[in-house]
Amino acid sequence: MYRTRLEQILDDLYETDGVDACIIYRIDGVPITVRTPLDSTILEVMFWLENQIKHVLRNMNKEGLKATTFDFKNYQILITPSSKSTILATIINPNAHQQLISIEIARAKSIINICVS
Amino acid sequence: MSERITSGIYGLDELMGGGFRKNTINIINGGIGVGKTTFCLQYALFGLNREDKALFISLEMSKEQIIRDCIALGFLEIEEHIENGNLKILHIYGEDLTFPSISLIDMIKKNIFQGSHNRIIIDPFTYYSMFLEKDKRKSISTIFQNLREFGTTIITLEESENINSVKAGSMMPLYLADTVLRLDNLGFGEMFDRTLRIVKHRGSKHGSSLYPYKIESGLGIVILASEHDISNVTPTNKFDKEFIASIKESRTNDKVGEKLAKRIELLRNNWNHIESPEYILNLVKRKEKIQ
Repeated sequence: MYRTRLEQILDDLYETDGVDACIIYRIDGVPITVRTPLDSTILEVMFWLENQIKHVLRNMNKEGLKATTFDFKNYQILITPSSKSTILATIINPNAHQQLISIEIARAKSIINICVS
Repeated sequence: MSERITSGIYGLDELMGGGFRKNTINIINGGIGVGKTTFCLQYALFGLNREDKALFISLEMSKEQIIRDCIALGFLEIEEHIENGNLKILHIYGEDLTFPSISLIDMIKKNIFQGSHNRIIIDPFTYYSMFLEKDKRKSISTIFQNLREFGTTIITLEESENINSVKAGSMMPLYLADTVLRLDNLGFGEMFDRTLRIVKHRGSKHGSSLYPYKIESGLGIVILASEHDISNVTPTNKFDKEFIASIKESRTNDKVGEKLAKRIELLRNNWNHIESPEYILNLVKRKEKIQ
């Protein structure tokens, strides 16, 4: 079932070295599914992110951007639309293997697109 | 645990601890075209097919429109239930209701089925609640209290598109209801366009995710929860050892020992987290001064 596949792909991304949290948001900023540790700093980042996601998306659309990166506290946040109505946000450790993570994000993004479309 | 009334919505009851609690007020809140009336029809028919009786108070659609929509969805048995007298559909105009609405309660009282469990549906309550002032809380609370005595009620409430036009009074039913389910439809044609969220479900464990749903011919609303979603609301016995040890220890406290043991037992029966309860149990022990 596509719904279960969606959870699996997020589990896989979360298990990648250097990924601290990953969240799929709906276009209106409501989190659909979340993988995050019980860590107050990450929760703070997520809280900030939830309030920003709609504005970030609006600006990404306006500027024609395919992905956006934010540096927030000791984390890097990668935001990329994963389908017409979903956005994938990945919170990573800045010392992580960026290239490997971007490949994993691209893979996750394409599967999310198949699952939800 | 209180008796449960199954919602009739495929995939929903397992996310709500088994369904609606008996004799409660349950609100379906959402915008235009999300499936509020379909939800009501499914709820009514599921019960009707299992010996319950249903009273459908329509403040908008006529009886003929309801039957027509029901048949279009594939719920062909509706006419049979009306003929057998197990389902009553009353059509009144919201504008004709007085406030405080003794007329509504009187109408329900007159039409209620004796000796059976009643599934009561009021669709939609919107017009009525739109004109409520904030200080009418007591009156609407009285209406709800009466409804609780008659059966298990589903009320639909339309969400205003313009947030500025929402009066404080129109939110009142949401505060006073036992359960609030929120339905959304974004209209992108993707899986998470149509979603259900359990906003509140008093006295019950419930899922807190955003659940996608579809409206399928012959079935009506089908919730597409993942195994992960379901396991998040299903109690686990993985930590029984820790709970049993804590129950034993709590009994050593003379004053509150037995009461505390019962509470920990309840916690054990409802523990659905993947993490150990150790931290919480230690917190309780410290607070209750158990050695």
